[in-house]
Amino acid sequence: MITEFGKIFAFFTTAILFVIIVYIVSKIIRPARPTYEKLTTYECGENPQGSPWVKFNIRFYVIALIFLIFDVEVVLLLPWAMVYKEYGLLGFSIGAIFLILLGLGMAYEWRKGDLEWARPKPVPPVLKKTNLTKIELLPVEENVTP
Amino acid sequence: MENLKTLVDSLYLLKPEIAISCVLVLVIIMDLIMDKNKTFLPYVALTGFIITAFLVVEQYFFKTSITQNLQKLLVIDAVGAFFKLIVILASCLIVYFSLISKEVKEAFDRHGEYYALICGMVIGMFFMISSADLIMIYLSLELVSLSSYVLAGFTKNSLRNSEASLKYFVFGAMSSGIMLFGISIIFGLTGTTNLLAVKSVMAAGGNSLTFLFASILIFAGIGYKISAAPFHFWTPDVYEGAPITITAYLSIASKAAGFALLIRFITLGYVQQIDASGAWQLVAGSIDWKKFFTVISILTMTLGNFAALWQDNIKRMLAYSSIAHAGYLLLGVVVLTNQGLSAVILYFIVYAIMNLGAFLVVMLIANKIGSEEIDDYKGLGYATPFLGVCMAIFLISLTGLPPTAGFIGKLYLFTALIEAKMIPLAVIAIINSVVSLYYYIRVLKHMFLTRPQNEDLVINTSFAEYVIVLVLAVPVILFGIYFTPIVNLAKNSVALFLQ
Amino acid sequence: MNLEIILFILFSVIAAASAVIMITRANPIISALFLVLNFACLAGLYLLLNAQFIAVTQIIVYAGAIMVLFLFVIMLLRPEHDLTLQKKSKIKFMAAAAGIFVFAQLVYIIFFFSPNASQKTSVQSSINSGTIEQIGTAIFTKYVIPFEAAGYLLLAAAIGALVLAKKKFE
Repeated sequence: MITEFGKIFAFFTTAILFVIIVYIVSKIIRPARPTYEKLTTYECGENPQGSPWVKFNIRFYVIALIFLIFDVEVVLLLPWAMVYKEYGLLGFSIGAIFLILLGLGMAYEWRKGDLEWARPKPVPPVLKKTNLTKIELLPVEENVTP
Repeated sequence: MENLKTLVDSLYLLKPEIAISCVLVLVIIMDLIMDKNKTFLPYVALTGFIITAFLVVEQYFFKTSITQNLQKLLVIDAVGAFFKLIVILASCLIVYFSLISKEVKEAFDRHGEYYALICGMVIGMFFMISSADLIMIYLSLELVSLSSYVLAGFTKNSLRNSEASLKYFVFGAMSSGIMLFGISIIFGLTGTTNLLAVKSVMAAGGNSLTFLFASILIFAGIGYKISAAPFHFWTPDVYEGAPITITAYLSIASKAAGFALLIRFITLGYVQQIDASGAWQLVAGSIDWKKFFTVISILTMTLGNFAALWQDNIKRMLAYSSIAHAGYLLLGVVVLTNQGLSAVILYFIVYAIMNLGAFLVVMLIANKIGSEEIDDYKGLGYATPFLGVCMAIFLISLTGLPPTAGFIGKLYLFTALIEAKMIPLAVIAIINSVVSLYYYIRVLKHMFLTRPQNEDLVINTSFAEYVIVLVLAVPVILFGIYFTPIVNLAKNSVALFLQ
Repeated sequence: MNLEIILFILFSVIAAASAVIMITRANPIISALFLVLNFACLAGLYLLLNAQFIAVTQIIVYAGAIMVLFLFVIMLLRPEHDLTLQKKSKIKFMAAAAGIFVFAQLVYIIFFFSPNASQKTSVQSSINSGTIEQIGTAIFTKYVIPFEAAGYLLLAAAIGALVLAKKKFE
């Protein structure tokens, strides 16, 4: 008699054992002849320069922050999802209100452009008269002298 | 199932909360739909707040104290409705302030967030005022704190501002962590988070030392919100750094909610019964709140008043003054009687009007001269006689001199103290008031008795500004002379308290 | 020795070891990864105590989201210049004092403190109360309002976090 969590535990144990066994086996059967060149960091054949530590874009941080908030919401929704059926429409509406608030947060992030990597800066086209007969669309930045 | 039905049937008790939630959702949706045009957002928020204010007034006249219905999580009564009214009226005024504030106008592209977070704070404060369960207390406190951290750091690209927000956040996280620890100890001791149930378990005899410790830890979280003495460190920096509208808001609404929560926490969790004379009988074996609050309130007022003496920035000075006022307000709680509670309520009406007024004048002057240093106020009484006179009224009222409303508020507080035979405490409070006279009058001295630095500086006041200053200044004088209505209001609010 | 005790020893040894490794590494990234291992073992311990919901939360929120955030912050701050932690004797002394205090407290609670006899909860009800269904039922029967309030809290958090984070871009 094994519980549901026992199955998960067996799964994890198998996964961990698999990695360990594969690692040991490959250690045994592979040849090991290290040289200086082999031990340097592989950088497309170039000599590596500088530190691999680069400053991350702050957008990663914002995305992680959003992820954290929605993760907490998922955790709160779990118990609701398990039992709402017993409480009928009323039970559903409790979670629905929560989900609407969650969706509102999502819509906010989407609309404010926080989910886009490079925020587009649209250049509105302007009507510019080059001469009296021809009208063409030109972006603002290009100053075409007539 | 039955439980849920009862909840739905008693949703009418939550009308103000539901209304304000709708305002929040509406503000966010409007902000998202109308991308560029945000001029109408404050009006949407203002309309919503006024509607909510009517619903709160309706709640005030329920004439009952209801705990059973809302899953025993919330208490709806007149005292709660009164504090909600203070919060919602302060919110209305703050939205109006924001309309004329230069600082807020400059951050026009984020107005949606500004008003949405103010709505979030109001929801949190409403729940805080009426909560009867430790989980509810914690959640609502966090909701208020989170929104106010962001609002404190709202203005763009100001170092001072970011510092305020960060300090507020660090202290806030710390104190809410301490509070949560206290809550978990109480839950461990009693197996429940409901304050009434906690009280009955404790009355049956519990581990009193641990319970005492946990109570003090929870008070740390509440003390942080009302900026009582050992938990006040954030106040000066945050009040100085935040936009003035938010500073004013924190000093009134957030403090009102904190005091309501404190009173709720004490009465639900520790008071066995209220006897005929209105004195609160504490549960046997509970912490001696009387002594505890005496120490805290003496510490708070003395520290606030003496630190204010050396301030050169007027917002910082008003921050320390608001700490001192928290100390005065605690005097009403110290006595643990219904008379004390009605004195607190009376003082809150007065304090809200005069403090909002003082911050408003500071904001209007900062709009024009771009400075909040007291030295830059030299001769402003001549450049703008109207604002100068109004500032004088507010500051004299904050000191507590007749014929202003501040005097009446203090009078009732001290009377409650003397009735409870706590004469030494009353004497200390009076000495403190005398000390406070110095730093309030110093501002007036700069405004009226020194020559202006810039002779031809003229500050014009627009009509909208005239109206709002008068709306705040007239009641300060009026209630100082004809104070029967507010005294009756305070007495009526308490009349039905915890029967 | 039954399976429960074996698992308990396994999880607690790994948890304790990973905690020690975490605070002794000089490289913060390695520390962070050992913290993940520590959290995973804690989740296992919660499961042994029949606290399923807390175990799931521990994995999803702590080992998942919070650690991702930690790693991004570490990488954002670019810690190559100050890889070694400050080794001031004053701090060491304070840390040791705090550690001894907490240790003594734990020893006292475990070996000398008798729990309050008036509070008794049966083992079976304690097991039941940790399941996700029980927590779901509690949400519906007792805590509907806090549940919705949590929704508002998270909405305010989402908006507030973005307002403050975006301030940095500009």
